Amino acid sequence: MKKLYSMAIIAGLALSLSGCTTPNGSKITSLSTAKTDKDKDGVMDISDQCPNTVPGTTVSKDGCKIYTSVLDLNERELCDVKKHGVDQVLATASKYNNIAKEHGVEYKRQGVTTSGYIEAAKEAIAAGKTIVHPKGDKTKKDFTVEYVAQRACKFGIGALVLEAEGKKNWREAVPGDGYKY
Amino acid sequence: MLLKIVKTTALFTLTTCSLNAGEFNAQAEKDRLALIDYMEAKFEDPLKNRYTFFPYSTDDELENNIEKGLTHEDFGIGNYSFSKQGKFSYDQIKEMPPYEEIVESGEELYNENKALQKCFPDVTIAGDYPYFDEERKEVISLTSAINDCIVASGEKKWNEKKGKMPILQSYFASATTEAEKKVDIKITSAEAAAAYERGKEYYYTQRGYLKLSCATCHVQGTGQRVRNESLSPLLGHTTHFPVFRLKWGKDDVYKGIATLERRMAGCVKDQGQNPPKASSKEMKELLYFMAYMSNGMNVDGPDIRK
Repeated sequence: MKKLYSMAIIAGLALSLSGCTTPNGSKITSLSTAKTDKDKDGVMDISDQCPNTVPGTTVSKDGCKIYTSVLDLNERELCDVKKHGVDQVLATASKYNNIAKEHGVEYKRQGVTTSGYIEAAKEAIAAGKTIVHPKGDKTKKDFTVEYVAQRACKFGIGALVLEAEGKKNWREAVPGDGYKY
Repeated sequence: MLLKIVKTTALFTLTTCSLNAGEFNAQAEKDRLALIDYMEAKFEDPLKNRYTFFPYSTDDELENNIEKGLTHEDFGIGNYSFSKQGKFSYDQIKEMPPYEEIVESGEELYNENKALQKCFPDVTIAGDYPYFDEERKEVISLTSAINDCIVASGEKKWNEKKGKMPILQSYFASATTEAEKKVDIKITSAEAAAAYERGKEYYYTQRGYLKLSCATCHVQGTGQRVRNESLSPLLGHTTHFPVFRLKWGKDDVYKGIATLERRMAGCVKDQGQNPPKASSKEMKELLYFMAYMSNGMNVDGPDIRK
């Protein structure tokens, strides 16, 4: 009887936890995930920040893929404002764009460099604004902070990916070398 | 016997050295000849070879606006070499070119500045730049050489894109053209060859958010139309700078003239990338490669462009 009573309490606790949500809407990990590893990356689901990594991927202690080459970067995932928030996406943008600047491959669009987008977004956030007007922008359009953050992030990563791809394929355009006609 | 060995060794070393000196431009020369072959093949008969070279052009364009049978030296005037409509306007403007007074102003600048006269006793030098300075181990462009001279004389360096710089360069280009000199870029060391290769890689690498390389438009894209503009060929690109652009000079004739560095920075911006500075290593090596591609062509500057 005592055993049955204990089991009922545990089951009730598990059921209630699996139904709970955090303030941002994500579910609290159920007790069962403590012992499971859905993507079989060696990190239990309870502490796996990336529970759906492709089998065979080398992961960090939080279960996320370790990027060994810039070509592995998942721009769409890393620059997702809904998933990571504006501040995190801007931090990612800065991180990669600083490398792009060092390499001399920073993007520029309609008079605005990637650094210009990052700066404009940060200024807007500090001023409590939701609309951004990057300095020098020839289009004179209204951009939301989220849009500018995402663009800066994609530009920062994109410049490095293009640089890495270019190192492999630039000869394909050279007459007398890789370019055939 | 010993003397014989020493003599043989010395002769061998000398021969090896001179052979190597002649070989440093071997790859560049191969590239240059391949580019000439490509451009000549492309414009041999554009309508006939449309599927190879002009897949997006209309019959009307190929039949009525693109010249055929072009050879090497024809490419010195950019897209006016093949665009019949463009050439008609070009010839009309050249009858009374807007840069004539700029050339005269450049000559005045030169005559009034003793430092410039000392640094550049021969003004027919437009085809000799950029060159690789074997002591400094870097490419020297005409713009950087002028500024080195200006700074050494105690003056503040000039704007590298517009103003006095292209005005003086107009005089040099005009004098070189009158002297009937040709582009003569040399590669005489392994370091110079490496600088050329880096410039070549820069030219052919896709860059910017539009993912275009310089070659996308000016090698493979030559002769194709972007809106109403025919894209000019890499071959001959550097022969006629500085250039007077009608859109730059519409309000003030002196604002119309600009250096090759300004034009290249504009091109890189059009690709969607923040361009390298005019005096940066990247820019100078890019110009070094481009100028080598025009080796042997007549210097024909300054010139006009839309």
